[in-house]
Amino acid sequence: MWRALVTAFSVVVGMPAAGQSPFPVDIGGPYELLDQFGEVRTEADPDGKYQLVFFGYANCLNICSAAMPLMAQVVDDLGQDGIAVTPVMITVAPDQDRVETMGAPLGEIHPDFIGLTGDADALQAAYDAFKVEVEPLFEDPEYGWIYSHGSFVHLLNADGALLTLLPPVLDVGQVTKIAKTYISPQD
Amino acid sequence: MMRSFIFGALAALALPVAGQAAEGTRIQVTGEIIDTWCYFSGVMGSPDAVVGSAHHTCALWCSAGGIPVGLLAEDGTVYMVLKVGEDDQTAGGDGILKLAAHTVEADGTLYERDGLNYIVVNAVVSDLDITNQNHDDYGNVPPFSIPASAKPQGD
Repeated sequence: MWRALVTAFSVVVGMPAAGQSPFPVDIGGPYELLDQFGEVRTEADPDGKYQLVFFGYANCLNICSAAMPLMAQVVDDLGQDGIAVTPVMITVAPDQDRVETMGAPLGEIHPDFIGLTGDADALQAAYDAFKVEVEPLFEDPEYGWIYSHGSFVHLLNADGALLTLLPPVLDVGQVTKIAKTYISPQD
Repeated sequence: MMRSFIFGALAALALPVAGQAAEGTRIQVTGEIIDTWCYFSGVMGSPDAVVGSAHHTCALWCSAGGIPVGLLAEDGTVYMVLKVGEDDQTAGGDGILKLAAHTVEADGTLYERDGLNYIVVNAVVSDLDITNQNHDDYGNVPPFSIPASAKPQGD
């Protein structure tokens, strides 16, 4: 039923400019953070790829443990169709996700996963831009602080403009189908 | 199969157009604020079991964890809640948490995008509390959402 209702469109139309949200809530905007290689990365993909951006943390056992593998599978599925997309996680737990620690756990999810962290002001700018609420819930004696955080996956174009939201409760096929309505191999 | 059926409820009848402008439609919806993860994934039980009083505790956990909440209308349509009232963030915050499993009358704006129904709830006109008292039928779903140490003795 879902497949019949969600029709895949191959055309790319109405790409929003950076800072213009396609949703009634103004979502998206500039940020400047550090990736796991210590390189500065902004909302623009340095390789000109589309991006799946999620706010979470590398060792999160809750929604991230579903959302980030979902992103990885979507990236692989799109890759099989010749569509290159970078999965990006912006940390909500900078105490746990540091430049030197993010890479390994993210690499286990997908080798192309980019982790981003930064100082409090730089991260808050990203949270504010994407209207993501971050709140520490409690400290687990084994895993450290557990955070509450927004969990929509954001599909961005190479310039960093939001194309659409992807609820992490959808399955891989559904997310891939929606993504493909915005992007195509020839882009 | 069930998952496909449920997602039919999420899908708007109008076919989506990628990149279309966000033009909303004012609507009034009466329904339950649900935990979309458990409702759609099916991992915790059937759709009837992961709503109402049976699922209230888990819905609190999921909402606190940032899982998007939905509004399950009386006709079975599920609206993904983008924002409630003056909340700065998308579908988060104490306002949502307090409404987990509650039936509400909402005045909002509907946005159909990507085959999904998104709603910005402009106002919760009335909070009818938890009206779906289904815990006698299903118990606490899932049982582990309430730690054994927190349950009343004899449970």
